[in-house]
Amino acid sequence: MAAISIRNVVKRYGNLTVVPDLSLEIADHEFVVFVGPSGCGKSTLLRIIAGLEPITSGDLFIGDKRVNGVPAAQRDIAMVFQDYALYPHMRVYDNMAFALELRGMSRPEIDARVRQAAALLHIEAYLDRKPKELSGGQRQRVAMGRAIVRNPKVFLFDEPLSNLDAKLRAQVRAEIKSLSQQLKTTMVFVTHDQIEAMTMADKIVVLQGGIVQQYDTPEAVYERPANQFVAGFIGSPTMNFFPVELRGEVATFLNGATAPLDAALRARLKSAAGSGVVGVRPEHFEVVPSGASGIAVQIKLVEPLGSDTLIHFEIAATPAIARVDPSLKPKVGERVFLLPKADKIHLFDAATGRILP
Amino acid sequence: MTGTPLSESWINRLNIVQLVLAGFLIMVPTAWMVLSSFKPSFEVTAYPPTLVFSPTLENYVQLMRTTPFFSYAVNSLIVTLGSAGLGLLFGIPAAFAVSWTRISWPAILTLAARMAPGTLFLLPWYVMFRQVGMIGSYTALILSHAVITLPIVIWVLLPSFDNIPRSIFEAAQVDGCSITRILWKIALPLVGSGVAVAAILSFVFSWNYFLFALVLSNGDSKTLIAAAFNFVGEGSTQWGALMAAATLIALPPLILASIVQRWLVAGLTLGAVKG
Repeated sequence: MAAISIRNVVKRYGNLTVVPDLSLEIADHEFVVFVGPSGCGKSTLLRIIAGLEPITSGDLFIGDKRVNGVPAAQRDIAMVFQDYALYPHMRVYDNMAFALELRGMSRPEIDARVRQAAALLHIEAYLDRKPKELSGGQRQRVAMGRAIVRNPKVFLFDEPLSNLDAKLRAQVRAEIKSLSQQLKTTMVFVTHDQIEAMTMADKIVVLQGGIVQQYDTPEAVYERPANQFVAGFIGSPTMNFFPVELRGEVATFLNGATAPLDAALRARLKSAAGSGVVGVRPEHFEVVPSGASGIAVQIKLVEPLGSDTLIHFEIAATPAIARVDPSLKPKVGERVFLLPKADKIHLFDAATGRILP
Repeated sequence: MTGTPLSESWINRLNIVQLVLAGFLIMVPTAWMVLSSFKPSFEVTAYPPTLVFSPTLENYVQLMRTTPFFSYAVNSLIVTLGSAGLGLLFGIPAAFAVSWTRISWPAILTLAARMAPGTLFLLPWYVMFRQVGMIGSYTALILSHAVITLPIVIWVLLPSFDNIPRSIFEAAQVDGCSITRILWKIALPLVGSGVAVAAILSFVFSWNYFLFALVLSNGDSKTLIAAAFNFVGEGSTQWGALMAAATLIALPPLILASIVQRWLVAGLTLGAVKG
């Protein structure tokens, strides 16, 4: 069990800077998810923690120990790889026992630990099989079992669910979450899937270009995104953005169309020198009766999801999506009036993308 | 449509023609050698060659009577096993190191050494080995033949090691393995067929290598292939005995190759297809 402290870490490959200057504190027992698009540096950061990539400059602490030069083998961490990386020539049992044998553990203790982990992951029946005789889901469990038996200070997961089908992914996601609650070990999980991040994490690190965009709880990242990138990355379908200017008392869109503004938003826009990017999540649009202060839109596409329905439309030539009650039975071509919930509207600086108060 | 398209069937036929031609080119001299070894000496050089003859072991008897064939065979075996072993001992870690570090110049250097004509090494070696009194020793022959076997081992195993997903090595690192242990416990068991191929090819190339043994051996350490040269004399070459010797010399590599044929094909195509 250990906290992880990343202090001013820089990672360069030749002239390419992948992580410019990153500091992060991960508390003991915390389940932290690194999330971001491809190439954002999340896997590099995980591999730095694992000791598989050297740090160009800065410091890394696991527990109280500075581990900059400490090889992966001596960091007391366990890692689950994207392709599981099981040893193909060893039986499942030996895959799990291997690290314990290297530590010189006694046979009975190795056996007890392997069987305990196998029971926890429901893989007792496969202990004598080779990895090639297992399905993707079973291999994934063995990879987790190999990590669990070690009882390490820190668990690292590098996109371990990305090779599973959707149903299995949801199942394993729940299992990892419950495992983290049972094991009470510091866990760092890398994914590009924001649903995985939201559902599993105690805290989310949203990364872009090797820079931490936001580090907070899933609720805070969703409710109060630090900037337009985070707002757009977290949430599905993605948040709708409308660049606007305040002209008089109305919001003016890029194409010159106007929309009425409520007093609070008008005040926020005013304090932002009269321009900004308005952000509204699809679920924060309300369908209101005609004549109310809603924005009239024409439905271009309807996506029924069962639990709710997505409607696609345009506001001032900007494509947008709203999540509505399926009982409304919206139809393509129909005109509806939408009103964003006033307290759920986000306003971002048009130049920097930062959230405006 | 029924049947295969015309172009495909033509390609198949051409393939068969190619295989027959290649097989013919390889088999005719081999068959000639084997048949000649069983012909009476006057028929070996007869023209036109006789295909029907009464087989005799006379050439083999002469070979065994006039030469210490078995001690030459033992010499060949010692030199071949020694140099193949040396090649594997150094070639396996070297190939792994090249694959691991992605620094390829050492491998290219060994390949260049392999491609260079043997005479390039022979003169300096002859001088060196003579100065330290090693001419005619097994050590000199084994060391010189390692120049043949080492590049074979490295270049056969390199794609095999490259083919192992890197994450498996990384998982082993995280599990607590040192690099040496990763090589012996993880990488080597995964390239078994590659090692078999490297060992066989090393054996065959070293067994068949003529030049170094001719110059660096003496009467006691002469290998079979160098000894067979004794039968070629000025104007009085004993073709029958030479063919018998050649047939016997060709046997071990052929038997080895046929035993491990399946591995050989699997190993040679390792790394050819990704995934």
